[in-house]
Amino acid sequence: MSNTDNTIVHIDGISKSFGKTVALQKLDMKINAGEFVTFLGPSGCGKSTTLRILGGFERPDGGRVLLSGKDVTHLPPNKRKVNMVFQDYALFPHMTVMRNVSFGLELKRMTKDQIAARVDELLSFLELDAFRDRFPDQLSGGQRQRVALARALAPDPELLLLDEPLGALDARLRAQVQVELKDIQRRTGKTFFFVTHDQDEALTMSDRIVVMNQGRVEQDGTPEDLYLRPKSRFVAEFIGDTNLISGEVKHAKDGKVDIDWFGMNVQGRSFDYTPRTGELVTAALRLEKVGFYDKKPETGNAVQGKIVNRVFKGSRTAVDVRVGDVNTAILKAYVDGDVPDDVWLGWDSANMAVLQD
Amino acid sequence: MTRNTRILMSIVYWAFVVYLFVPLLLMVLMGFKDSNFIGFPIKSWTLDWYIGVFKDSEVVSVFLYSTVIAVTSTLISLTIGTWISVLLAGRSFFGRIIIFGLTILPAVIPGIISAISFRIFANLLGIQTGMFAIIWAHAVHNVPFVVLVVMARLATLPKSHTEAAMDLGADKIVSFFRVTLPYLKPALIGAGVFCMLLSFDDFVRSFFLGGYKPTLPVLIFSKLRSGMSPEINAIATVVLVMTAVMGIWAERSMRRMGKGT
Repeated sequence: MSNTDNTIVHIDGISKSFGKTVALQKLDMKINAGEFVTFLGPSGCGKSTTLRILGGFERPDGGRVLLSGKDVTHLPPNKRKVNMVFQDYALFPHMTVMRNVSFGLELKRMTKDQIAARVDELLSFLELDAFRDRFPDQLSGGQRQRVALARALAPDPELLLLDEPLGALDARLRAQVQVELKDIQRRTGKTFFFVTHDQDEALTMSDRIVVMNQGRVEQDGTPEDLYLRPKSRFVAEFIGDTNLISGEVKHAKDGKVDIDWFGMNVQGRSFDYTPRTGELVTAALRLEKVGFYDKKPETGNAVQGKIVNRVFKGSRTAVDVRVGDVNTAILKAYVDGDVPDDVWLGWDSANMAVLQD
Repeated sequence: MTRNTRILMSIVYWAFVVYLFVPLLLMVLMGFKDSNFIGFPIKSWTLDWYIGVFKDSEVVSVFLYSTVIAVTSTLISLTIGTWISVLLAGRSFFGRIIIFGLTILPAVIPGIISAISFRIFANLLGIQTGMFAIIWAHAVHNVPFVVLVVMARLATLPKSHTEAAMDLGADKIVSFFRVTLPYLKPALIGAGVFCMLLSFDDFVRSFFLGGYKPTLPVLIFSKLRSGMSPEINAIATVVLVMTAVMGIWAERSMRRMGKGT
């Protein structure tokens, strides 16, 4: 295949089963050079299997994997220009930081000087100079994670695989490392293939997120796409906090969909498809997209309601609002500061995405 | 636990310690007695018996002979034992449990039975009794201990370590020598010292398979038949000190290396 486009990895219809469990069903995917792609999904969704197939640790039952246009489906891990940061880092306990990082280089027929230069470069790049003679058990979690990254980057791979490498870090450090990792990816220009079940990580770092569920791709898009325009109930619920609004379609045209929601008329947007009139659909509305007003607002959607529950969350308060004529529906929202119990809620119809399933 | 049971427990413990160490202490003491006969009272002390041990060229050469047998058989056991462990620890295959059972069998067969069977087998194959036959018997007998210790250690090696080595460009062999083997080091030292002590200590197999030249336990046995003398105590004390030092060293270095991994 031609490589005139920017594709570095081409996953061509790979399938994989473990016994009776189907891990991947005919997955097709192209990854561009320099992209930070995150495979996101719950455990057992096939994201780790994809990673292990790219790394060469598993063979797919069917399909091909092309790396820079070359079929690598049946190449073992040591014959691929792909390196991996393992979930437990898998640092060699009997080797110092320096020896760990140089491991991959020593197997590449490089001269001693070349190896030393490359190791120095990486250690200073990842701010590990001070730890070069330490053993892994003398390092903190964050330092270990950086050593694992340095070791994987050392042989200059075409693709870097990261298998939930932040799972072992505490929450505060994780937030910091997310920013660092994205920065490292930008500065090296490497293609990162990141696997996680943590939506926060995915949204923070990725150029592109692939949401996986039961061996299939649920949605593939930018973080904004996934967050604001989820295509399925699964994506809407997996990423962020969301209201799911179900009702019958009264009218749908040009992506604008009028829905009858417990007798209230609300409007949402559909993307890449138009539902039929009379069809039962669900729309996703992010909690923070709901605004509070003391009188009927001029927004696309407006409903009157009464706050029935408040949960203080520090910077904001999560509230449950009973809405509708018969008070049957509940809308969740965030509010800052004081709001009376009787309120008008309003939101833009562009912020309410009609789901395809 | 009540106070009384605790006191009772410590009495039992100290009684056990006395029972264990008094014979050893007596043996060491008698090696310093300036007399041809073992027994109290000790009227005068001497180092002559010890000097005699190091001057007696037969004792020294037998000691070296036993050491060579111990070291060689241990190296063979470690190699074969590690090999089998890696094989058994890998993916499961048909007959794995049978191979494991057969590997462990030599450890539980009574010494006399295994010695006789080795002797018969050696005769059938036309193997001469002597050093080679003893090394062979010791090596076979010690493999199970290596396998048990190494397999236990191997079970704690995260799969990701060897995968990381492969990922960084190592083939299976490089990955074994550079990642798996260093990880096994504490287990190999422990198993190795244990094998050496077993070999050094073995009487039955060495007796049945030995040629003209005796191993140390066989020599001591033959000296005993011509009557107890403090010379035997001196030989035994030297062996005791050396094996104790080796055992303690092995235990310490295993513990030190076992940390941090």
